[in-house]
Amino acid sequence: MKYIFKFPDIGEGLDEGTIVEWLVKKGQHVESGDSLVTMETDKVVADIPSPKTGTLVTLFGKEGETIHVGDALVEIEIEGVEGEAAIAEVEKGSDMEAIEEEGAGVVGTLEIAGNSAILSSSNEGVDDAVEDKREVKTKSLATPVSRAVAKDLGVDINNVKGTGPAGRVMKDDILRYAESGSKPKVSSSSASVGSVEQLVEVEPLSQMRKTIAKNMIQSKHNAAHMTVFEEVEISELDRIRKKYKDQYAADGTKLTYLAFIIKATALSLKKFKSLNSEMDMENSNMIYKKYYNIGIAIDTEKGLVVPVIKNADKLSIVEIAAEIQNLSEKARTGKLAMSDFKDGTFTITSYGSIGGLFAVPVINYPQAGILGIGRISKQPVVKDDKLDIGLVLPLSLAVDHRIADGGDATRFINSIMGYLAEPVTLIF
Amino acid sequence: MTIEVQKYDLQDYSIFESSKEYDYYLWHPEDRYIILGRANNPEASLETDLVEADQVKVYKRPSGGETVILTPNTLVISVKVKIGNELNTQKYFKEINDKIMDALSTLGVKDLSMKGISDISIGDKKILGSSIYLRKKTLFYHAVLNISESIEVISKYLKHPTKEPDYRKGRSHKEFVTSLLTEGYKLSVKDLIPALNTSLSLD
Repeated sequence: MKYIFKFPDIGEGLDEGTIVEWLVKKGQHVESGDSLVTMETDKVVADIPSPKTGTLVTLFGKEGETIHVGDALVEIEIEGVEGEAAIAEVEKGSDMEAIEEEGAGVVGTLEIAGNSAILSSSNEGVDDAVEDKREVKTKSLATPVSRAVAKDLGVDINNVKGTGPAGRVMKDDILRYAESGSKPKVSSSSASVGSVEQLVEVEPLSQMRKTIAKNMIQSKHNAAHMTVFEEVEISELDRIRKKYKDQYAADGTKLTYLAFIIKATALSLKKFKSLNSEMDMENSNMIYKKYYNIGIAIDTEKGLVVPVIKNADKLSIVEIAAEIQNLSEKARTGKLAMSDFKDGTFTITSYGSIGGLFAVPVINYPQAGILGIGRISKQPVVKDDKLDIGLVLPLSLAVDHRIADGGDATRFINSIMGYLAEPVTLIF
Repeated sequence: MTIEVQKYDLQDYSIFESSKEYDYYLWHPEDRYIILGRANNPEASLETDLVEADQVKVYKRPSGGETVILTPNTLVISVKVKIGNELNTQKYFKEINDKIMDALSTLGVKDLSMKGISDISIGDKKILGSSIYLRKKTLFYHAVLNISESIEVISKYLKHPTKEPDYRKGRSHKEFVTSLLTEGYKLSVKDLIPALNTSLSLD
């Protein structure tokens, strides 16, 4: 697999650095930890170590060039890592230490390109981030002896009031503190109910859960979410699907509602370019994509994955159905490759198969929108001024309101509904 | 005339090559030295005519940051730490600056804070600047503490820096930089070194 290593925030909270010197060459084999490049930020000159062992396929940027945190530095070919191992590699992230420092953001974080992952933004306004006024500082002054005694007794020296010069914590202060038993106590009320171990189960976060959490927060922090809800009557689509599903099932293809919805969405994206775009705030640009790759959220035992159906606008409904089947099978068996996740331009999440009607889906940032598919159900509908039974599909469209106005979002969902209500239009 | 810029090989740099996991060096310069940041050049950073006239030696250090002047009225504080693949330089700026501020606090210096990326200030005036060089999994921090140097000396040789922290707000050297003496602390190297030894020796 190929691994894109991006320039990490090296802890100053600055968002750019200058390439001082490349220490490696294209085609060179590197071990994890080998120095790749010397970078300079405002106060730091640092060698950046390779996060992976492999062969360097591409070096991005020239000496003297200024790049931003999150820009690609090198592409590393990691030999013999494909399929499930590739996903594990993505989830693992890096062999480097990723450290969270209060006020300094996540540093040393390494990302794989193409999975919609964005590096944590740096803290601008260093004054606020770094400033550490003495008045609020809680670290105690102490003699080396008292620190050693505190360490031996398991006492947090910062909780001990010092009686020495300038409030310095002395050895006797530590001993008095330890004797007084000023340690955390379990309250009697909670003790009577049961121990902490009995009341809760603590489980370490998996890398996938961490990645999901980070991406969700990234989206919520960066996009202005706005959601439109609609219902569309799809009895005609249901009739067509039922008519042909056995025929295609014989060929091994499961003709699902989702295939029609993806096709309708791709065709609608071609009409409303703002929904197939992303906003590049850094360069003050809008990027309108002229390819229509639809991510489909798949619920797996390990968590949510979003593989991508490429060029959905150019595929027939049956081809889309086959691709959904293919990606779902790979997701279930853990065989999705990095390429399966790349370059999505819009996402569809289909929670209706489990039971929800409407939702407020979280946009797969930096995409401009996500369509939620609810549970299809029979509902009373009015047709030709008569009450009838119709098959109703609930839709929830969340858009980034920075990019798409309410009118755009509504016209876009109307377009999807039009295709689904009259599915013959999906063919022409 | 072109100013000769020498590679940084002053005595504090020796700890970078030592085999210790952690080491520090306190150095009281016996003369005036100008130290350019890695990306600085004499023409942009120095009043070259005056530097040449006074025959001040100019060095270029491997670390980032702006140009500084070392004098017998300053103290150079250098720390070396082996850190593996970690890249969290801000953590080390903070930890080491905290130790320095601890030492100064024990000597009665008040209103200390860390400002900008890695400065130590009294109020909103800078008394210490620092930078980091990270190579071969070894971090080299070095800082200059202004004990009693006149700001006139700094202004004489150094131009306004090409980059400045937000809190400087365009202030001149005279408005922005201060010394312990100017702030009312009559501390000598003999006072400072024992306090720093204690603080920097701690875990």
